[in-house]
Amino acid sequence: MISITAPLYLAFALFIIGVIGVLVRRNVLIMLMSIELMLNGANVALITFSRLWGDLDGQVFSMFVIGVAAAEAAVGLAIVVSIFRSRASVDVDQLTALRD
Amino acid sequence: MSLLQAFAPAPAGSGWPGEEPPPGALSQLVTGVWEFLSHTTGAEYLFFFFALLAVVCALVTIAHRNPVVSAVWLVGSFVCVAACYILMSATFLAALQVLVYAGAMMVLFVFVVMVLDVDERGAANQPKHRRSRGRGYLLFASVLVFVLGWILLGTVTRQFRTPGRAIEADFGTAEAVGRELFGSALFAFEAVSLLLLAAVIGAVVVARSRRERIKEAAAVGLEGESLQAAGLAEEEGDSRDLSDAQVRQPHPAMDFGQPSAGGHGGGH
Repeated sequence: MISITAPLYLAFALFIIGVIGVLVRRNVLIMLMSIELMLNGANVALITFSRLWGDLDGQVFSMFVIGVAAAEAAVGLAIVVSIFRSRASVDVDQLTALRD
Repeated sequence: MSLLQAFAPAPAGSGWPGEEPPPGALSQLVTGVWEFLSHTTGAEYLFFFFALLAVVCALVTIAHRNPVVSAVWLVGSFVCVAACYILMSATFLAALQVLVYAGAMMVLFVFVVMVLDVDERGAANQPKHRRSRGRGYLLFASVLVFVLGWILLGTVTRQFRTPGRAIEADFGTAEAVGRELFGSALFAFEAVSLLLLAAVIGAVVVARSRRERIKEAAAVGLEGESLQAAGLAEEEGDSRDLSDAQVRQPHPAMDFGQPSAGGHGGGH
C-alpha cells in the first residue's frame, strides 16, 4: 500500500512549483498555468485525506475546486486577451499603468 | 499511521522496529534501500512513477519559454496526477480531471495562446529539434492512452489497494460521488453553477474589442460626456488605451527604479 505521506509530498511539490512559477515567470499565460498547478496540488491533498478518512466529502470538494478553477481560467484568459489588445504584450512587467 | 507520525522527523535508526541500527551510514543507506525495495508493492511503484512524472512535467511547464509547449507539458502533469487519483480510489475524479483539466481547460489555454500570437521563438525555426519534440508528443499520447485504459480497468475491477480506512466497494465511483454531490452538497453545487454562469458572462464582457464596445455605445445612444467616461470617445482614445509613452518614461518623482529588472529573463 502507498504510505499516506507520498501523496502529500506530491501535493506539496505541485503547490510549490506553482508558487515558484507565479513568482518567477513574467508571462501572464504561464502564471495562469502555475495557478492551475497550485489548485491541482490542493486537489491532491483533498483526495488524499478523503481516502485517509474514508469520507467522500473531500472528493466532492475537489470537484468544486475544479469548477472554480475552470471559472478562474475563463475570466483570467479573457483579461489576458483584453490586456493583449491594448498593450500587444503579455508581460506583466509592462503592466504599470496604475503605478505611473 | 497517524498524521503526526507522518510529519514528524523519523528518529535515527528506528525506521524498522525490531532491528538493530547498522553502524555505518553507507550500510544503513544500503539496508534502507533494500528494505524499501522489498516492501514496496507494484501499486507503490506506479504511484512513485506517476508522481515523479507529474512533478517533472510541472517543472518543465514553468521552465519552458514557449507557452504552447508549456500547456502541453501541463496536460502531461494533469494526466499523471489523474493516474495518482486512481491509486487513491478516486476513479471518477480521475476521469473528471482528464476531461475538464486536460481536455477543456487546455483547449482554452492553447486557443488563447494561438489567438494572441505571442512570441514563439525556438518553436518553428529549428528543424533539428523536430524529432525530439515528436517523441515528446508520442510519449504524452501513449501515457494518455495508458491512463484512460487504466481508468476503465480500475472502474471495472476495482483492483487497486489504497491506504487509509476501510471503504465500501463503490468508494469514489460516479454513483457514490453523485449521491453525495446531489445530497448534502446540493446547495454548493447550485452555487458553483451560478459561479460558472457569472464567469461566462464576465469573460464575454471583458474580452470585447474596442470596436464592439463603440458599436454597443452607439446602439444604446451613448454620447458626449458619458462616452468619454467610458473611454470610447474618438479624440482621446489614444491617450487612454495607448499610454505606452508614459509607461516607458515614468515621472522621475514616481519612478521607484525597476523592481523586477533582473531575475526573470525568460519572460516569453
